[in-house]
Amino acid sequence: MSCANPIKVGLLSDYWLGVVTPDEEAHVEEHFLGCADCSAELERVVAVAEGIRKLAAEASLTMIVSPELLRRAAEKGMRIREYAVEPGGSVACTVTPEDDFLIGRLAADLGGASRVDLSICNEHGVELARLTDIPFDAGSGEVIWQQSITYAKAAPNGCMVARLMSVEEPATERLLGEYTFVHTRTMPGPSAW
Amino acid sequence: MSDADLVRRIAPKGDAEAEAELCGRMGPRIRLYGLKHFRNAEAADDLRQQVLLTMIEALRAGKLREAEKVASFVLGTCRMTVLDARRNAQRRERLLSEFGEQTAQLLPPKMPDLDEQRLAGCVQSLNERERTVIILSFYDEQSGAEVGRFLGVSEANVRVIRHRAMQQLRGCMGATV
Repeated sequence: MSCANPIKVGLLSDYWLGVVTPDEEAHVEEHFLGCADCSAELERVVAVAEGIRKLAAEASLTMIVSPELLRRAAEKGMRIREYAVEPGGSVACTVTPEDDFLIGRLAADLGGASRVDLSICNEHGVELARLTDIPFDAGSGEVIWQQSITYAKAAPNGCMVARLMSVEEPATERLLGEYTFVHTRTMPGPSAW
Repeated sequence: MSDADLVRRIAPKGDAEAEAELCGRMGPRIRLYGLKHFRNAEAADDLRQQVLLTMIEALRAGKLREAEKVASFVLGTCRMTVLDARRNAQRRERLLSEFGEQTAQLLPPKMPDLDEQRLAGCVQSLNERERTVIILSFYDEQSGAEVGRFLGVSEANVRVIRHRAMQQLRGCMGATV
């Protein structure tokens, strides 16, 4: 038996988030209560949604976050280790077992930028990873970069260089700022990878 | 056999096999409804049990005239039960003693196991905006308007990004969820 008119994943996840209208909610509920396929799909969507919540709480994703997320995480009692760096600046950093979030606040003049990439390099400037077309609030004058706390807790002493680039057409990059993080390991573990 | 076929087998004289089958189908759906409205697994399990008992009682008594409307009937019962959650303690005791034996044997349905490592890989494979929207929406429960302000896009646009990202995550997870 398969559903002839399945509810889309987007609507199911909106239902779970509670961002649907009362009419949409009634439609979704009446449908899945009578439909094996769509109730099974809703279960999967809920599993994914709750998995995302858990992943985010573990702060093991490398990503851009909003100030609001940090404010609320702090309210929930999360320990946030933050390093604010000016363009061209360098900061000595570490992470302890008690920390839940590891945040770099990269100050930059983002005015006029349409696409911004965050390039993550080693101490020699060799790019290791790139976050492409990151979300940013131009008015805030900063990019809030979350480094994976799981990675940082395992990492030995080392130096990492983050570069914010304004990407202009065609394939032209303009450096908005370079930020150096000198990480000293304070937790027990290997001295090198 | 459809849900409606099972309903027709239950009313009016009761068919233990059909009742068990219908409870097995409806139980996990009612629990999902409960999880949505209570955000609490225990309360959702209680709701599931209570609605199943009410449903079987009504079906045996032939109160549902159109078997095809069983989902609407269950939805109505879910709504009333959520509203009456506190006042219904006594009634629940009575129903449990009357019909409880067979439905109590049904174990709470299990949610699918999630392959967390795979999900982490899938989330990391989203583009930056999608990932941020997903995390802000699900972890932080930020509204579309809040997320839109941060991203500098409209609320409708946030919805489009969120839908696309969820669709992609479901595809990436495949049948493993």
